[in-house]
Amino acid sequence: MADAAQSIGILQFSLDSLVQQQQAIANNIANVNTPGYQATQVTFASSLAAAMADGGTATAQTVPEGLASASDGNNVSLATEMTLMQKNSLQSQTVDNALSDQFTVLSDAITG
Amino acid sequence: MFESIDIAGSGINVDQTWIDTIGGNVANSSDGVTPGQPVYQAQYVDAAPVPEPGGPGMGSQVQKIELGSAQGQMAYDPTNPKANAQGEVAYPVVDLAQQMTGLIESQTSYQANASVMNKSTAAYESILHIKA
Repeated sequence: MADAAQSIGILQFSLDSLVQQQQAIANNIANVNTPGYQATQVTFASSLAAAMADGGTATAQTVPEGLASASDGNNVSLATEMTLMQKNSLQSQTVDNALSDQFTVLSDAITG
Repeated sequence: MFESIDIAGSGINVDQTWIDTIGGNVANSSDGVTPGQPVYQAQYVDAAPVPEPGGPGMGSQVQKIELGSAQGQMAYDPTNPKANAQGEVAYPVVDLAQQMTGLIESQTSYQANASVMNKSTAAYESILHIKA
């Protein structure tokens, strides 16, 4: 059985990644009109796999989004960012609930 | 902590500055002066990203306010009290179509940033509610 600490570690990593992803999205939207700005994205799925391999210690990485640039060199797509933000929000809620559940299980085990 | 909210705020700041300059540019677009006198110079916002080493970045900022033509454009209007001996008046160079386009762009961006602020607040609140 994967112990509770490992599950909580992975969930914590997920939450950290999601918070960082939210920051990346916010940054992309804040720079939607900045000439020459290139959008960045946090690679969540691949870094989660790395985290599970070594016990939830990997850090989320920021990579440029490979979209074509507009005439001013900016490649932020507002529609893409809003979609990502919506998805990110639901993923965060899921992880938050899962963490609460883990803590409930621990609490039940402790109090009996 | 709560960086996403700061980032959205930085975007709103840039958009607000942009809207302010557009307001000034449109309001002063017909300020005629005698040629040779200082004429209103259109203002343009120069935005730049705020870098964050090892992270996605900390939003955007107004790097500089660029100024438009200092000479203005001449219009022939001999009855204008400000006309010179040749009957010319100098007007600021303000492209109204460009200003209106900028207004719509800044407004959309402002709304997007406000939406980010709401979503980020909800996400942070959800984290604060984690409990056993």
